[in-house]
Amino acid sequence: MKKTVSLLLALVMIFALCACGQAAAPVATEAPAPAEAPAEEPAPAEEPAAEADALVVDTCILKEADDAMINNYSLLAVNPEAPWVDADGNPVSDVTINTVGAAALINWLLSEEGQDLAANYGFDQYGEYLFYLKDGRPVSTAEIPAATEETRIIRLSTTTSVNDSGLLGYLLPIFEEKYGYEVEVYSAGTGKSIANAKMGNADLILVHSKKQEEAFIEEGFSCVLDGMDTERLNWMYNYFVLCGPSADPAGVKDAADVKAAFQAIADGKFPFISRGDGSGTHTKELSLWPEDLGITAEAESFKDYTDWYISANTGMGACLVMAEEMGAYILTDKATFLTFVANDGVMG
Amino acid sequence: MGSSIQKAIELILSADPELLNILATTARVCLTSSILALVIGVPLGILFGAERFPGRRVLLVLNRTLIGMPPVVCGLLFYMLFSGVGPFRHLHLLFTVKLMILAQVVLITPIIIGIMETFVADTAPALRETARGLGFGRIKEYRLLINECLYSIFSAYLLSFARAIAEVGAVAMVGGAIAWKTNVMTTAIMMYTNRGSFTLGIALGLILLTLSLLVNVVLSLMQGRLSR
Amino acid sequence: MKTTAFTKTYNRRVVLYLPELELPKGKITAVIGPNGSGKSTFAKILAGIERSDEKKPILSGVKVGYLPQKSFPFRMSTEKNILQNGNDPARARELMHALGIEALAGQSAKKLSGGETARMALCRILMSRYDLLILDEPTTAMDMESTLAAEKLIRNICREQDCALVLITHSISQAKRISDRVLVLQRGELIEQGDVQKVLLTPRSEETRRFLDFYGL
Repeated sequence: MKKTVSLLLALVMIFALCACGQAAAPVATEAPAPAEAPAEEPAPAEEPAAEADALVVDTCILKEADDAMINNYSLLAVNPEAPWVDADGNPVSDVTINTVGAAALINWLLSEEGQDLAANYGFDQYGEYLFYLKDGRPVSTAEIPAATEETRIIRLSTTTSVNDSGLLGYLLPIFEEKYGYEVEVYSAGTGKSIANAKMGNADLILVHSKKQEEAFIEEGFSCVLDGMDTERLNWMYNYFVLCGPSADPAGVKDAADVKAAFQAIADGKFPFISRGDGSGTHTKELSLWPEDLGITAEAESFKDYTDWYISANTGMGACLVMAEEMGAYILTDKATFLTFVANDGVMG
Repeated sequence: MGSSIQKAIELILSADPELLNILATTARVCLTSSILALVIGVPLGILFGAERFPGRRVLLVLNRTLIGMPPVVCGLLFYMLFSGVGPFRHLHLLFTVKLMILAQVVLITPIIIGIMETFVADTAPALRETARGLGFGRIKEYRLLINECLYSIFSAYLLSFARAIAEVGAVAMVGGAIAWKTNVMTTAIMMYTNRGSFTLGIALGLILLTLSLLVNVVLSLMQGRLSR
Repeated sequence: MKTTAFTKTYNRRVVLYLPELELPKGKITAVIGPNGSGKSTFAKILAGIERSDEKKPILSGVKVGYLPQKSFPFRMSTEKNILQNGNDPARARELMHALGIEALAGQSAKKLSGGETARMALCRILMSRYDLLILDEPTTAMDMESTLAAEKLIRNICREQDCALVLITHSISQAKRISDRVLVLQRGELIEQGDVQKVLLTPRSEETRRFLDFYGL
């Protein structure tokens, strides 16, 4: 008797989930209808991926390669002699940091091999490059030691958007295979990811938020590696992109620059999806709004704009799904957007 | 029915090594933690239910409070304790399966103690009166009491296994959802949801539920045999 | 066999006060009285399950068997339940036969009816020999046929084993049928004791007479 009831319950739950699955599916299947008409229009020339998939995903890149939307990626080795404090603020002296491992990974990423791989990443899959190497970037020719029992595990704390771009999943296995290290990637929002390092749980960080990186260095949590001249090793960049419905009701495409584009969205009160989660992307977006709107990370600051400004407080992909469904504008990193388009708007 | 089921079946058939790793980690964490919790919780629950000793009521109130502890709070606590700057840093346990199991044991044991205590407190007085009336010693009395409990031990285990496999707050905090190491079904579902891969998230959810169903069916069959 | 005098208090109210009592061997002593007169409390204190205010057993040095009013069926077959109290299958069969439950031997004891459980419990307690055997309303849940069979069994065992037997009952007719002596309790006090015929036919106290009249005797 009891057995039958539990079986039935489990079945009911599975059916309920299937129903949800179908509810989520229309994102993929219903999209074609509105997309067909705009597909006739010439798609932006610099967006071949969107053109190929225009039948499925309507959201496309409207503004990119603008200097205001540059996205710098930096590596920072964690300082083993940092002013560690525990949760109560008492100093802690003997925190274990694998500096040898961190240096090995950083030296490899900055080596000719690592840089070539990063620069070419994405071309095979999306037909364009996702990361660009910075002029005057730090370059390493240092010998990379093979892993030993003590240095084998390298703890890398990074942000979700870096992880979601797939770059690390592409680079790290090559490094691990060659030198015998094991890189454990901890990915979270920028704030949590840096806090994780400050708690002594990372050997290096890979982030893209200059302000927070500088604070991290200021507080003494980073160190200069042998052969480098600074803590903040900024070697790659790419651009955030402003996306929106292909019909572009705000005329963002023709705006003079990205600030003007944001002004146009705000003036016309066209729906805009904000990450709203304190991530690097969110921080960047906040800096692009016209100053007189006064939009900040505080909910109070945009309470008058809630009819068009949507603070989603979730991951990049989830926000893209929302933007696609609502025909809203959105600021995103290019890698995530291309993955989103390549997967027909369902992310994987 | 639905693209999610299709996706779930595709995922299983593809035998994607990462998925298999996630499944194996999930099984390892949930089975170990629920069994450990059972081993600790059942004797304590029987003791709390059958014996009257000073401090028992305080401990029971404490236990009920622990049942209500949000997993993420438990996770946060363990994260702080085992962090690089935490008091237990020398054990190097943060972001390991071992610590995930430990955190889950802390979460689940109170549930088992609670279930066993309620059942035993209900059963023990009548059983004890009869056993003492027959002139049985304490050892025989406890043997008979445990024999009465077998059915509810199964129920307690089912519930704690369900809690372990469904729990995400603690394992995400303590395990860090590190690929190939501490990523389990629930943290993977969270990750996909944050990425907006809802279909994949539901596909994983379906696999999780199916596994849970299988474990439940097997245990229910054993339980049914017991009650006969 | 002699018990010491004792008092039992619940919430500062004396619920039972009894003087020294003589429980003769090989004889059945029935304890009668209306509900709430303290019969079951007396049985528990006598059995050592509960303690009197004096905090010491009222009887020492004897092996006591006690059958509670609601006996607990262990989670196993009827026969195994009975064998818990002495591994003698032949004896168990004999007892089950006497009470007409041998057909239920293999059945789970948890699935027995009230009357069947009472018969199983009686068989179970009778598997061991005790110096003093206390039966608290052993036949209340049984039908008339089983009751008579149980009474016969109880009387025979008492004689054979030469044990002191205390039978708590609310049935005066049962006391008349099988007991030798009788104790009458009312509101926690012993109001009359003595030979069963004497007490029930010519009660000394007014209260006993009223109690007997009330039950139509």
